[in-house]
Amino acid sequence: MFPTLDPLLHSELRLAVMSLLVSTEEAEFPYIKEQTEATAGNLSVQIDKLSAAGYIEVEKTFKGKKPCTICRITPTGLKAFEDYIQALKTYLNIGK
Amino acid sequence: MEETKNMTAERSLEIITQQIAQSRHAVSKVTGQSLFISGICTMCMAVVIAIINFILINHAIVGLGHLLWLVLPIVIWLFSRKYNKERAHAPVDIVGSLVAKTWSTFAWFVIGFFVIALIWGFVAARVLPIESWAATQIKVTPVIVLLMGMAITITGHILKQRWLVIFGTAAGLICFIWEHFGMGQTIVLMLSGEPHLSLSAHAATTMLPCLTIFVFALVGLMLPGLMLKRQK
Repeated sequence: MFPTLDPLLHSELRLAVMSLLVSTEEAEFPYIKEQTEATAGNLSVQIDKLSAAGYIEVEKTFKGKKPCTICRITPTGLKAFEDYIQALKTYLNIGK
Repeated sequence: MEETKNMTAERSLEIITQQIAQSRHAVSKVTGQSLFISGICTMCMAVVIAIINFILINHAIVGLGHLLWLVLPIVIWLFSRKYNKERAHAPVDIVGSLVAKTWSTFAWFVIGFFVIALIWGFVAARVLPIESWAATQIKVTPVIVLLMGMAITITGHILKQRWLVIFGTAAGLICFIWEHFGMGQTIVLMLSGEPHLSLSAHAATTMLPCLTIFVFALVGLMLPGLMLKRQK
């Protein structure tokens, strides 16, 4: 029996965002946009969904006079990501 | 990248691998650029200070140019601002953060030690007789090269580069002994066959610390920086 994949993470863009944040302490919105090649609107919506689930925290601040949005993964998000990887392993037959 | 819910497990794995690799590459590039700029600035500063010291020694002023080392952090900061614009949006990962913290710790210790040595030299010159002053003078270069060797070794461990670890440890210890026991001066004296250093020989020995720091900056900062920048 295959475990259910977290529907919140099982989406290309949200998974890309989470993968980016897993390897960094924090990342700014323009950086995530550049790396994922997503549109600002779409990315914003997906970030809001991840934030609402408590997977990431979003800090809106200023860099000089320019507004700056910083995203970082939360312990809940990290746990969800790890669970997702474990579930993926069973699908790919590389887990136990 | 668009919203797709019917992803295969293989596609999920591909996205994760791709994004993590992409992110590591971006961060390595920025860290590499910072190390590279720091290396170039330190090497240039070593050359400038060596020239200034060489000019000053002809006016019987010894080692005053070394005061310019205090300006180095500002020079590095200015050049980083100008030439490392990618840093503005790039995130910080654990590797980049550890390397940056290692070198900033090194910088703070060096600045602190340099200031303490300067103050002590100034106070001791006024309080102690000249013979005691010479004996109690704090030698700055041996400690700086030892700290630099440590920073290079730690950077090597973080970046998993064995050659950096070996170089940092060996060069740090060898250069510490070389500088602390004034081996450069001893060799120059032995080669000249005179009991005291001539003016040109003295000029050569005051420039030796600059040469040591130049080599350390080349191998410990510039080369690892270049390596990280070019990492695929």
